[in-house]
Amino acid sequence: MSTQFRTAEEASYEPWYKYGVAFLAVEMLIAVAVSAYSLFMTFQGLGGFPGKH
Amino acid sequence: MHTNKVEQLIIATVGFFWCFLMWFSTAAFSPSIAAHYHLSIAALGLLASSAIWMAPVGRIVAGWASDRYGAPRTFAVILTVCGLVSIASAFTQDYTLLFAERVIVAIAGVSFVVGIQHVAQWFDANEIGTTEGLYAGTGNVGAGMGALLLPRIFGTDYHAAFLWLGIIALAIAAWYLARGQAARTVKQRDTARDRSDLRSAVFVWSRYIAVALMLAYAMSFGLEIALNAWLPGYFSRGFHNAILALGFTGVAGVQIAAGTFAAVQSFCASLFRPFAGFMSDIFQRKGWTPLPFIAKSLPYAPRLHWLGIALILISLAMVGLTLAGLSGSLHLSVVMLVALGIFISFGTGGTFALVPLLFPDRPGTAAGFIGGVSTAAAIVFPLIFAASTNMHVGYLTVAVYMFVPFVLFYFWAARYERHPEDHGIFNRALAVEEA
Repeated sequence: MSTQFRTAEEASYEPWYKYGVAFLAVEMLIAVAVSAYSLFMTFQGLGGFPGKH
Repeated sequence: MHTNKVEQLIIATVGFFWCFLMWFSTAAFSPSIAAHYHLSIAALGLLASSAIWMAPVGRIVAGWASDRYGAPRTFAVILTVCGLVSIASAFTQDYTLLFAERVIVAIAGVSFVVGIQHVAQWFDANEIGTTEGLYAGTGNVGAGMGALLLPRIFGTDYHAAFLWLGIIALAIAAWYLARGQAARTVKQRDTARDRSDLRSAVFVWSRYIAVALMLAYAMSFGLEIALNAWLPGYFSRGFHNAILALGFTGVAGVQIAAGTFAAVQSFCASLFRPFAGFMSDIFQRKGWTPLPFIAKSLPYAPRLHWLGIALILISLAMVGLTLAGLSGSLHLSVVMLVALGIFISFGTGGTFALVPLLFPDRPGTAAGFIGGVSTAAAIVFPLIFAASTNMHVGYLTVAVYMFVPFVLFYFWAARYERHPEDHGIFNRALAVEEA
């Protein structure tokens, strides 16, 4: 295997990684919020996914 | 030039996001285009399907080019060509010419594999899942953002939209060339370039694990874009009365509801993808290898197990979607659909957390094959869904006759405890000596 990659046992995460994980958590929250809002609107007969009116 | 891996990730992600935006911008304005040119339903369907035509072969070529010439140059060429043609399409008054131009702009979608290669050349094994997930998941949102924002910003003026999308694409291309760097070291860049010949490409394409990952991506991303095209019609027809009972009236009202369910699936599949990559990293760090048959001692074995779990969950959710549809419950169908969207993200994120580790010296060639051929599934799956006598049963048909064999093949290809990337057909004729 290429020497580019160190094994997981040898490497700890670099400082940027925690920001990356925070960003992906925000993306998940956005997905949950938008999906919940859209489905609530749809099942109430009030509209749909943002933009689909 | 002083740079760092995070800057390279941001450049790749922005580039891919814009390419995805351009790729699906035609669909965002298809009602306006249809009204302007008085398109028939058949013509509209042809326009919609044309977005995928160039992907299978285009991604194979783009993946090879990123190894051969480096990701910055390859990405810049894609952005420049698609940007210029998008600008040209803003001034076109003939539908045939517009159609041809939009097919060319849709080539922007092949940039996915270029960014995968770029990211693979900069990040370490223990963070590759999260990194590739952030790149691909955030970039994928470009399609949803396009559908959401483009009509709101430009109304029905698709000419202005195509013009501005093209101009900004040119600016991003310039930024990519100015600040993009192909790999963390010259040795990595040169290794990828030196391994970009046809013999080496055929070697990658004929590896069992590469074929297995391609089928895994067909089950996930291929399924996602197939569902994007299929679900609005499915919910409109399969739950017509249930949607009317919610209070929606007329064709437009039913389409709003049906379109919402399709959009939620795609939205979840995109925005949970970074999490799926992160989960691959977690499995790796914890050393989890719960599944039978799949290798347990390889350095990246836990990632193989995470992907195996994802593929099983996708298959089960497809069965669940059929059962929910047959039950007649719209609510249950939507719940199964959201779950399917999330499991699809597990599959997409899990696949490309593995590709750079299995083929570290030829990441573009591998990504091009796996990410390219799999998009053909987007054409095949809807045909199977539509062929069933009962429209709810298509998901079960695909799960039983396609996904189960795919998953079994994945387990078989991933069983090797040593160098799965070396096992395939044409071994002796294509043997490549490691440096």
